[in-house]
Amino acid sequence: MSYTTVGIIDYGMGNHASVMHSLHALGFRVRVSSKIEILNDVDVLILPGVGAFPSAMQALNKLDLVGYLQKQAQERRPIIGICLGMQLLAGASYEYKYTTGLDLIPGEIVPLASSKSHIGWNTMECVQQDQQLQLSDGQSFYFNHSYRYQGPDEYQICESRYIDPFPSVIRRGNIVGIQFHPEKSQTAGRLLLGNLIAGMVNA
Amino acid sequence: MLKKRLVGIVTIRNGWAVQSFGYRRYLPLGKAEWLVENLDRWGADEILVQVIDRSIASSGPDFDLLERLGNLGLETPLIYAGGIRSVSDGVKAIQLGADRIVVDSLLHGNQESVKELSIQLGAQAMIASMPLACEGDTIMWLNYRNGISTPVMSNSLDLIESGMISEVLVTDWLHEGKPGCFDQNLISKFPLQEVPLIAFGGLSVPEHMSALLYRNNVVAIGVGNFLSYNEHSIQKYKEALTDDFLRLSNYESNYSLLADV
Repeated sequence: MSYTTVGIIDYGMGNHASVMHSLHALGFRVRVSSKIEILNDVDVLILPGVGAFPSAMQALNKLDLVGYLQKQAQERRPIIGICLGMQLLAGASYEYKYTTGLDLIPGEIVPLASSKSHIGWNTMECVQQDQQLQLSDGQSFYFNHSYRYQGPDEYQICESRYIDPFPSVIRRGNIVGIQFHPEKSQTAGRLLLGNLIAGMVNA
Repeated sequence: MLKKRLVGIVTIRNGWAVQSFGYRRYLPLGKAEWLVENLDRWGADEILVQVIDRSIASSGPDFDLLERLGNLGLETPLIYAGGIRSVSDGVKAIQLGADRIVVDSLLHGNQESVKELSIQLGAQAMIASMPLACEGDTIMWLNYRNGISTPVMSNSLDLIESGMISEVLVTDWLHEGKPGCFDQNLISKFPLQEVPLIAFGGLSVPEHMSALLYRNNVVAIGVGNFLSYNEHSIQKYKEALTDDFLRLSNYESNYSLLADV
């Protein structure tokens, strides 16, 4: 029997126990590391994150993970960014100061239209066909962010509404960014993570 | 649509979860982990753990507790309050498992650290705690460390209004633990009507909760003691308040309700 192994990239931004717990509950094997030799050995990479964009990019740079992640994306390895991790996938962010990102999905991170934080449980609507995400269409997830993705429509797979609609899931092939916290979204979040990872691995 | 939240609040004193009455009297409930795990399983929208004896003793956040809670692998967002003295305290609390932190003492005496924390963690992670009480037409803010109430300082309001803080936890500390006694004037007279508020203290009756949730500036209500009086309290409150912008009730059990056929 072969197991899917998920690698959580540990770059010091937030605690990974909840992501790990969700993945274990789904039957995946989990590695948490910042070491390239360990991350090379997993089926799916997860880039989590709680905090601000500039500090996160600084931490990734310090660990020499920026070039590594860009190379993995070129090699079409599955990568999932969660919350701040999703924002890091973009080209740049305007959070506090202009900071370049991983540039794995074209677009930028800009303040929410209301200039207020979007905090709480909100529904996700699929605006493009996506086999794995469609199963979670209309479900509620936990959001906690003050900035949003802004980029070409082709990468915006799901959206949510907070005064105006904004992208809640973005995707470019095997790279997926989730603005909310599936690991903190109870049953709905666990199901979404399970479907997404299984689909990416079996694609 | 963004839902309003029912926040389960767990109060910790001397390392034990307690029921708190008006910041004066306490009754033990048990281990914090037990209560937090229950709230996680019952489908609370957020869980706020407030350790009430850390600021007064200047002993810093209860990192051991946070580590234990972080290791539970909660599937519900966790907010931590208690004893955050510096930027490094706040950052460490997040690293150990909190999704958001509450600052209280820092608002009184070290606003530069609040700003720096907001820059490092993002404003969405920052909640300001304000234990308030009405004295006539004036809202008085209790300094938890020295027990003295004063009118809310304008520099604190400026900081909150600047966007460095995402929400304010308004605690009716005088009525905390008294059923159905939350003073709604604290919300209607709060000086910043555009700032999202979490109301807490003496909230036990669904009609009162509903009245608060209908206010634009109230984004969440916190319930502490009253979750301990009945089984499945979160579900019961949610059932009573589902029409009031709350997420539907959720309950997970290890035991299937379906017949094994």
